[in-house]
Amino acid sequence: MADKQGDLVQGTLDMLILKTVALEPIHGYGIAVRIEQMSDGVFKVNAGSLFVALQRLQRARLIRSEWKTSENNRRAKYYALTEDGRKRLGTETREWGRQVAAIARILEAS
Amino acid sequence: MSVLRSLVYGLRSLLRKDQPDRELDEELASFLEMAAEEKIKQGMSRKDALRAVRLERGSLDVSKETVRAARWEYFLETCWQDVCFGMRMFRKSPGFTAVVILTLALGIGANTAIFSLLNAVMLQSIPVRDPQRLVVLRWSASSRPTSIGHSSYGDCKAINWASSFASSCSFSYPMLREIREKSRVFSGVAAFAGPAQLDLSGNGSASIVSGEIVSGDFFQTLGVDAKAGRTLDLTDEKPGAEAVAVLSDSYWKTAFGGSADAIGKTIKLNGVPFTIVGVTDRRFTRLTPGKSQDLWLPLSQVDALHVGWDGGGLTKNENWWLSIVGRVAPGVSLAQAQTSTSLVFRDEVVHESLLKTTDDPQVTLLPAQKGLTGLRSWAEQPLFLLMGAVAILLLISCANVAGLLLSRSETRRKEIAVRLALGAGRARLARQLLTESLLLSFAGATVGLFLAFWGAKALASFVVANRDSALYLNATPDLTVLLFTIGVASLTGILFGLAPALGSTRANLAPVLKENAANMTSAIARGRRRFAPGGGLVIVQVALSMVVLAGARLVVRSLANLKGVNPGFDTSNVLQFGIDPALTGSYKEAEIRRLYGELQRRLSYLPGVVGVSYSSDVLLNGGLWTSDVKIEGRTDKSEVEVQMLAVGADFFTTMRIPMVVGRALEPTDMASVHEVAVVNRAFVKELIENREPLGLHFGHADSRDPQYEIVGIVGDTRYDDLRKEPEPTAFIPLRNSGAHFAVRTVSNPVALVPSVRRALSELDSDVPMFDVRTQSERIERLLFNERLVARLASLFGLVALILACIGLYGLLSYEGARRTKEIGVRTALGAQTYEVLRLIATQGMSLVFVGIFFGVIGSAGLTRFLESLLYGVQPTDPYTFFAVALLLLIVGGAACLIPARRATRVDPSVALRYE
Repeated sequence: MADKQGDLVQGTLDMLILKTVALEPIHGYGIAVRIEQMSDGVFKVNAGSLFVALQRLQRARLIRSEWKTSENNRRAKYYALTEDGRKRLGTETREWGRQVAAIARILEAS
Repeated sequence: MSVLRSLVYGLRSLLRKDQPDRELDEELASFLEMAAEEKIKQGMSRKDALRAVRLERGSLDVSKETVRAARWEYFLETCWQDVCFGMRMFRKSPGFTAVVILTLALGIGANTAIFSLLNAVMLQSIPVRDPQRLVVLRWSASSRPTSIGHSSYGDCKAINWASSFASSCSFSYPMLREIREKSRVFSGVAAFAGPAQLDLSGNGSASIVSGEIVSGDFFQTLGVDAKAGRTLDLTDEKPGAEAVAVLSDSYWKTAFGGSADAIGKTIKLNGVPFTIVGVTDRRFTRLTPGKSQDLWLPLSQVDALHVGWDGGGLTKNENWWLSIVGRVAPGVSLAQAQTSTSLVFRDEVVHESLLKTTDDPQVTLLPAQKGLTGLRSWAEQPLFLLMGAVAILLLISCANVAGLLLSRSETRRKEIAVRLALGAGRARLARQLLTESLLLSFAGATVGLFLAFWGAKALASFVVANRDSALYLNATPDLTVLLFTIGVASLTGILFGLAPALGSTRANLAPVLKENAANMTSAIARGRRRFAPGGGLVIVQVALSMVVLAGARLVVRSLANLKGVNPGFDTSNVLQFGIDPALTGSYKEAEIRRLYGELQRRLSYLPGVVGVSYSSDVLLNGGLWTSDVKIEGRTDKSEVEVQMLAVGADFFTTMRIPMVVGRALEPTDMASVHEVAVVNRAFVKELIENREPLGLHFGHADSRDPQYEIVGIVGDTRYDDLRKEPEPTAFIPLRNSGAHFAVRTVSNPVALVPSVRRALSELDSDVPMFDVRTQSERIERLLFNERLVARLASLFGLVALILACIGLYGLLSYEGARRTKEIGVRTALGAQTYEVLRLIATQGMSLVFVGIFFGVIGSAGLTRFLESLLYGVQPTDPYTFFAVALLLLIVGGAACLIPARRATRVDPSVALRYE
């Protein structure tokens, strides 16, 4: 996440990656592009933070990876969600929803 | 779970280091390539696209570092890099490294050595099975039990005999049986007393061995097995049981050469035949700290041994002499055990009307590790003092090394500035410097461990050589000591490394990097500022050395004062040895007297002997006999306590105690029915009011006991302790007890030992000699604590002084070198030699003065911990402080002079071209 806009709640990037990977196996650049597209360019992902997050998620066995050839004949590492990852995404999404709703209620009060 | 997984990943990447890295490289490269392709598709040139991607997404190398740094194994990798780098740096300056390691080795080694001793005396657990479930029984009551005989053998804290509170660890044999039978809270109890000094014959020449009298279940309760043969059991304790003995492993090895034939062999102890039935496990070296035994004998034999401990029969419940330990049964709490044992104790003492219920008799259970004090009771204090001294020594070495590192970091400023400029993090650099100091301190600790190993051994043998009874002290470093050393080393490394690590990373880069262009004013300005931390460290060293030196000096002076005390008799050229013919079982009163008279006569014929006599105990040997007596003609009719010593004829002339008035004890007094005594001046002065002392009688309140007539008065002598002023003492004829013979010679009496031995064995070869020592040797032992502390503290003081001087010298040499150019300019402008000398020396001496100032404050606060060791000198003795301060000034001055003189020899023309 680009540093300027990226000061989001800790762990949000992990959640976004899990969500992106959940759709289909995808490589690192694909993840970055998709997050940017889906956020209408609000988030810009730089390589360092992305791969740190991927390394962390993989070590926690939330995602797994394998080398494949990409659409334009380039070797790339494709990431896919594991069963643990799917569960985690579920709980995190619910938790996120609860928090956002709560924050919204506080901000709308008065 | 996830920690474990991360660990597995980390280890895999550590072991196959390049594979994950290569994968990461490839993945990152393809990421950036894809991003660039996107841009190229939009019409950018390849070069511009790559540049844009780098700006947007971060460069390949930075990203790679970020990802790698996020792994935990990265920390280990960098640590290893730091270690390798540190090693390279040390190899480049071997002299510096050697000095630092040696300084640290001294500090850490001294700490480890003293700690090994402390560990051996205080911390090592009892070498038996499950020692933490063993408890010592200690009774207490609000008044002293009526008419009991009480003895103890230094296993527990001394008996407490205050008027409203009595407590001790000694119990009667019937009490042991009650507790064994009625108390259900122990899985076993063991009783023991001693050691007794026993006359052993039947295995080579007669010797004295120390044997402990123990209950039959002693070894089962402790969980000690036999290495050969068997240990004791309850049948050995039954009256009329066969007389058997169990040997300790070390005695078996020294006296029987570890031969299996020893088992079943018969030896004579105090003339009674005993069969050796077994040898204990090698690991069972002691129960009470510092007490070691040659052999163990069952309680049933105590009567036959004539040691007089059982008070005329085991079954007597008014003789309290056994220490008891119990093993708390599984599932029983300490509180339950205590309540139950207290009940048994109370029922028994109340039933036997030794105490009343209102006296609140009860038993406290102490963990054996804590309750069995032994050696701890007297060694604790000097050990803690020495631990304090070595801790200060370590602080001094830390300050010293910190100073060295600081001046070295000055030379490394440029290296560090370059690395900071290239983007190294300050935390990362500080970590690297700390790694280096930890490396140094662990190298120091390794060398220190060797020093400590050797030092602790030497110390332990010094302690052992100065004790009368056989002493067991295992000062070999064990796991506890090793952990202590590792802890000390880590702490030391952080302590001396922290200041330089933080200091040198704080540098302002620009001036350092530009320094090549000689910028004198800034160098001088920096010089003034940089002096502060190094100077502070020198002040710390001087102040701490002052504390150690002042403490050492106080103890040394006390020792000299004690040695200068006039004991009231001539202590030089006297050899003493003990014999106890009654122990052989074949001597009655008249025969003992005849033996003593004959031995006295034969010894006096030996060449070089000028006097021979004997007494029940040796003066200034730590022993004391006191008795409560009534003295005729006193207005106060109550009993008074006087010191007693039974002596033979010629005792006063042999010991050179001056006769004041009346007559000495004659050979005829030894057997006469008319009881006479000689008293000292203090006796007359304090206890006899305005009467002619000669002809007065004194003795026990019971008039059937002997009433002694005073026939002479002698000069005062110190009895058991040099510190104690002479007290009223009565000398009575020695009738039938064991005796210590005193042989006064014209020159060194030690040469006479073989002929003395021969004289005795010609009379009776079954009577062994023991405790053969000169009077001056005994005094040395009496002053053991003072000597131990004085000797070690002086050594530590000397080391502290040397370290502080090295610190001062190092700092000033460095200062001199750094200010070469300044001095050159000053000389060129006409400064005289003495002015340059003063410039450097003043700087050093002002540090010494400030150090002494803080040292005096520190000493005044700390020397009171020495108070109990001091004699004839106050803890804050101004002369001592002054003398130590003067010493520091002189030595400090010398340490300043060398670098200062070197500074004066700076050639201005060379200095100005410097760099």
